Amino acid sequence: MTSLNSFAAGEISNTQIPQLHGAGDDKTGYETKYYTTKSKALTTRVGKKTDLLSLIKQPPLGLPNVPIPANNPISVEKIALGRKLFYDRRLSLNSTFSCAMCHVPEQGFTHNELATAVGLEGRSGRRNSPTLFNIAYAEKLFHDGREDTLEQQVWGPLLAHNEMGNPSPGVVLRKIRTLNDYNGLFENVFNKPVNMETLGMALATYQRSLNSANSPFDQWYFGHNDAAVTPSVKRGFKLFRGKANCIACHTVNNDSAVFTDHKLHNTGHGFSVSTYQRPKKQRLLVAPGQYIEIDSDLFDSVSEKKPNDVGLYEITEDPADRWKYKTPTLRNISLTAPYMHDGAFKTLEEVVNFYNHGGTPNEELDPLIKPLGLTPNEIQDILAFLNSLTGSNVDELIADGFAAPVGDTQ
Amino acid sequence: MISKETFTQFGKTLKGVMLGSAVALSIGITALPQQAQADETCMSPYMAKIVGQEDYIYVWTLGAVGVGDEQDKLVTVAANPKDKNYGKVINSISVGGRNEAHHSGFTDDRKYLWAGGLDTNKIFIFDVHTNPSKPTLHKTIENFVADSGGVVGPHTTYAMPGTMMISGLSNNKDHGGRTALVEYTNAGDFVATHWMPTDENLNGAKKSGQFADGYGYDVRVLPRRNMMVTSSFTGWNNYMMDFGKLVGDAEAMKRMGNTVVIWDLHTKQPKKVLDVPGAPLEIRCAWGADKNYCFTTTALTSRIWLIYEDDKGEWQAKDVAAIGDASKIPLPVDISISSDDNTLWVNTFMDGKTRSFDISNPHAPKQVFEQQIGKQVNMVSSSWDGKRLYYTSSLLANWDKKGENQDQYLRAFDWDGKKLTSTFDIDFVKAGLGFPHQMRFGSNALYAKAPTSKSADAIIASLSK
Ligand code: HEC
Ligand code: HEC
Repeated sequence: MTSLNSFAAGEISNTQIPQLHGAGDDKTGYETKYYTTKSKALTTRVGKKTDLLSLIKQPPLGLPNVPIPANNPISVEKIALGRKLFYDRRLSLNSTFSCAMCHVPEQGFTHNELATAVGLEGRSGRRNSPTLFNIAYAEKLFHDGREDTLEQQVWGPLLAHNEMGNPSPGVVLRKIRTLNDYNGLFENVFNKPVNMETLGMALATYQRSLNSANSPFDQWYFGHNDAAVTPSVKRGFKLFRGKANCIACHTVNNDSAVFTDHKLHNTGHGFSVSTYQRPKKQRLLVAPGQYIEIDSDLFDSVSEKKPNDVGLYEITEDPADRWKYKTPTLRNISLTAPYMHDGAFKTLEEVVNFYNHGGTPNEELDPLIKPLGLTPNEIQDILAFLNSLTGSNVDELIADGFAAPVGDTQ
Repeated sequence: MISKETFTQFGKTLKGVMLGSAVALSIGITALPQQAQADETCMSPYMAKIVGQEDYIYVWTLGAVGVGDEQDKLVTVAANPKDKNYGKVINSISVGGRNEAHHSGFTDDRKYLWAGGLDTNKIFIFDVHTNPSKPTLHKTIENFVADSGGVVGPHTTYAMPGTMMISGLSNNKDHGGRTALVEYTNAGDFVATHWMPTDENLNGAKKSGQFADGYGYDVRVLPRRNMMVTSSFTGWNNYMMDFGKLVGDAEAMKRMGNTVVIWDLHTKQPKKVLDVPGAPLEIRCAWGADKNYCFTTTALTSRIWLIYEDDKGEWQAKDVAAIGDASKIPLPVDISISSDDNTLWVNTFMDGKTRSFDISNPHAPKQVFEQQIGKQVNMVSSSWDGKRLYYTSSLLANWDKKGENQDQYLRAFDWDGKKLTSTFDIDFVKAGLGFPHQMRFGSNALYAKAPTSKSADAIIASLSK
């Protein structure tokens, strides 16, 4: 499966649009009465296995070497086992949730269709599912950075009441031991049966392979191909590291870039959500192009209370850490909407406008966040740059995800 | 009392016989009595009807955290005023798990009740004929998703001759709305998956307007017209989500069905995709032999839609009436058509109201009655003669009203054409049962009087004359 270098019309022609990317029932334009469906058939969602090992050994242009823990070396078999586990819905208490139900391959390994996650029995998550593209490079995991390694992280969703809902590690491990199709697989890879450690190691190894770069930006900036991007992208990058100073947090090194400083910051977005006062009326989209203005309290009787979120503070209990969240990577950013820890922003334009206005002022606002005075043209250039960060192997990774068997009760 | 023209006979005799579609079709055409059949009026035409007093109501009930044993159950309520336990719960079978109990339907021989779980995709098959007052769990289909090639959310379980047609709501790839119809034999063996038409694969269907979303919800048939019809709701992500959270998520709100699909009943091929915006849910077809139309209502846009065959033999969809005040999103849910095709009951979830529409002119329904049943209402089931109406409250576990607005009941009424008179009322939370959803009727006479004799071949022969 090769990636398409098809170009969107107009100025932002540097965007690589992966063919397989996108929710199967595209709702672009649903706000208007001209909306037409562009639904894909589920039966054609078949993929092709790819060489994931080489994506770890030689990550695409623009990425540094993949950090591999000494006690969890990679192997083809381990990646395959982790991949099988990742798409296996039986890993949840009632066999309805795999990791991939929230980190959906064709939706940027996140969930484009939902602002915040929905888990076992429909229980509400309060945060947006982050992309797993290039997760190998994350030094801190989760929006509040509360976890350190992928090996440990897996037990978060497996045991979370509102994600996969397992009541204990024992329940998960016992279940896997009873599934015939796992017979001998862990023994083969680890020389020992499935346990808390080996399960984490296998899943971590698969996720470590989801590396995607060699984007038009990489081809230009690191590959020195001047024609790889438009002048707008180049102007956008100049603003990114200059006037807008995004680079202060979304780091770019000399020979590679992960676009994160691995730190947590208060941009004011979390603060504004926590202190939001809803208006009396709101417009609800009830069908393509059909809005109804409703009283905002109309659905209170059928709503649970919206949970609060104070970010890093919840881990440290230090008031200085209120509403601090992890700086996310910007690679493949045009594929991973909606944005921020709660998926509040639908488009990159909304995000850039937010920064241009200086975030939301509050006591803990990061000093780097301030009104930027970007002109509309400059904003377009930054958007062009952000859109140039789509990796060339996205289709390959999606196709590989499609090819993975979905584990269901047989 | 059992209607003379019912299909108990061949239903019984044909047990275990797989009917080919051609045979099924001929039965459909010739066996339909001229006289109107009634919910009982929402039953499959391939099935025996209870036309007199029902003895039992089987309530497929959602388990709820903090209520009794917290799991889904089939609850049996005595419904015959002559029964010493009239209006009381006489049996309850817990099935394990909160599966998002939703709809249920009998097999054509009316011996088994299939009840689906929209979350776990299990289908529980209850034996309701051995002892109609005390159903037992006969079998559980656990591998619906694997069998069907990834369909999630078994919704309507609708009797076809010898098989059950099950409409899905979602899929195991993205928990979105693209889905399929799935067919099983009455014995519980997988037969086929019929995917809903999408733009990428319309499967021979004609897209009549702007939409082909591939979504599913209800399924009904008009065998006389060789027609099967499906509606469209939303995928797992949305129907399992907290309702308030869903309404607040603009992206998720775009994942709602906007289509009704007309199928060739015989070949199970989709023929035409009709635009019916705003989540068309329940479908009820007219019973009269000369009435080639069905109704559906759209949940979000609060309209009644007529799905009808025009003079040129083309199936069309037409918005024919408003339901309540659309700006308050009353959320029409269950509907029930009367046996004489003159009345359509429409329940609206948010305001807990039931409304009766005069549909004697199907192109211009007129509301003639309105009453609040509870703080919320979902299902309505009518007796054959339209004199008794039963209401239950639960829509979906995470869409139901919470806290002080919780109201979970089965309420029974007599209807004299002008007013509803309460006959009994069961608080399902107080009774430690859960959230009641779909009701199906049971009758002792249905099985006691079932005639025997006649081979399947003989019956088919006589029917196709
Ligand atoms: C119900 C949806 C859901 C499921 C199922 C789920 N996740 Fe997640 N995942 C999330 C959400 C939401 C977050 C962010 C949570 C937070 O920050 O508190 C997350 C965060 C993560 C992260 C951290 C990403 C980052 O950038 O910090 C990783 C890695 C991850 N998940 C992997 C997995 C794996 C592996 C599984 C299966 C074992 C899994 N997830 C199952 C929703 C889900
Ligand atoms: C002070 C550090 C900082 C600066 C400066 C900064 N960001 Fe961010 N950025 C963050 C943090 C932290 C988040 C996550 C916020 C959240 O989740 O609520 C974020 C989120 C984002 C996101 C959403 C990513 C996602 O996956 O949801 C985008 C896009 C983004 N930033 C682009 C930019 C651009 C463009 C600039 C410059 C105009 C910029 N950032 C400047 C720290 C920073």
